[in-house]
Amino acid sequence: MNSPSTPYITSRNMEIYDTSRNIGIYEPMHQMSMWADIKSNGFLNTPTSMLVEVDTKLDNQSEDTSHETLGHSNKYDQETNKPVDKVLRRLAQNREAARKSRLRKKAYVQQLESSRSKLLQLEQELERTRQQGALIGVGLDAIPPGFSGPINSGICAFDLAYGSWVEEQDRLVDNLKTAIYTYTDEELCILVDVVMNHYSDLFRMKATSAKADVFYLMSGMWKTSAERLFLWIGGFRPSELLKVLLPHLDLLEQEHAEVCNLKQSCQQTEDALSQGMDKLQQTLSDALAAGQLGEGSYFPQISNAMERLDALVSFVNQQADHIRQVTLQQMARILDTRQTAQGLLVLGEYCQRLRALSLLWETRPREPT
Amino acid sequence: MQEALPYKTWTSSYSSHEGTSSTSAMKAPTKEDELKKMVSQNAVIVFGKRGCCMIHVVTRLLHGQGVNPAVYEIDEKDENDVVGQLKKLDAGKDDELQLPAVFIGGQLFGGLDRIMATHISGELIPVLKQARALWL
Repeated sequence: MNSPSTPYITSRNMEIYDTSRNIGIYEPMHQMSMWADIKSNGFLNTPTSMLVEVDTKLDNQSEDTSHETLGHSNKYDQETNKPVDKVLRRLAQNREAARKSRLRKKAYVQQLESSRSKLLQLEQELERTRQQGALIGVGLDAIPPGFSGPINSGICAFDLAYGSWVEEQDRLVDNLKTAIYTYTDEELCILVDVVMNHYSDLFRMKATSAKADVFYLMSGMWKTSAERLFLWIGGFRPSELLKVLLPHLDLLEQEHAEVCNLKQSCQQTEDALSQGMDKLQQTLSDALAAGQLGEGSYFPQISNAMERLDALVSFVNQQADHIRQVTLQQMARILDTRQTAQGLLVLGEYCQRLRALSLLWETRPREPT
Repeated sequence: MQEALPYKTWTSSYSSHEGTSSTSAMKAPTKEDELKKMVSQNAVIVFGKRGCCMIHVVTRLLHGQGVNPAVYEIDEKDENDVVGQLKKLDAGKDDELQLPAVFIGGQLFGGLDRIMATHISGELIPVLKQARALWL
């Protein structure tokens, strides 16, 4: 913008003002308001080269007729010039504002365009994933490599619900920490019941979502990475958790023996179920491998296998959760209220540490590739 | 008098006699009688679908306790039939009979979940002892 307008002249005025301050030719207050105007309009940022340019232009007033009156003002009292100055300055401000507004609008439109294209991309991806999901029922080779992730809403709902469950669990564990020392036995009993019910909620949630996608539950992808290390049929191994608990409980000899027995029974039951799971895998493998491998036509085998698979895996998953729940209940039966509270606290904190470990690992600083 | 029979598997078949034990020589007149006899003659018997992996879970668990359960494998075509018969044997309960089903001491004990739950709670062994499936 090269309009040699009032501001430059005004800055010259400042010079003159400064030097003639003591002379008192100009109205100081008026000068101050003009100074304020400059500041608010940001004209202080004008590069000095422009100032110099304008100054030289002003010196050559005779060439520029539109600034004739301005030129004259340099020789005469500045006050007669102020209304014209104002008008010119306002025009300049308007021009500047309009320019900025146009730039902002351009940026906004660009942002909208990029968001739109991103949205289209996401929609395409979603459609593709849906189609891939539909293709699974047709044949194995239709699944492109790298396909993964839950695509049904039942699983999304479970993920959300599980997130809330963990939050609530953390809160309950924090409660237990203080309650062990401060609550009476009756109060502690109530808290223990709440925690036990909370675990029941989890098993209920798992049972519901197993109907949507039992394989997702079995994969343990809804758990954090460190927890997944210990995955056994869609969750923790109860006997392992009992092993963690035992040293932290303050038990009498008989109680200790009972908990050890519980741990052993648990282990035996788990082993039996694991063997059942192995047998299931074997059966599935045989069903898939039936007929000639390498010849291509496998529709009968696939539909046969899938039909059995879902029901069986659901059953196994259900039994595993059943073991977990029964073990928890039996533990509560063997121990008294305070010991159960201690046990639940240890359990809760153990899981918290696993989750914290996972988070630490995920957010570790990675080396740039 | 119930005796602890060695581990055997009876196949459900009307016509063919593939059973290796001497008891298979006894041709029961009806299916119902056959089942009744099996349930009463065995301290522990597990009924399940042929090729079902869950029978394996139950037998594995029982073996671990030193019990030798008899196993009766049901063909798919006979399934509804046999389940109906078994329900009749268990008087007083209207619940769905789920396979695999375990009979202890002539009574329907339950399915896999009951077996596992009672084992964890420690109730299974006394029941087995009472049915003389266990001696120690």
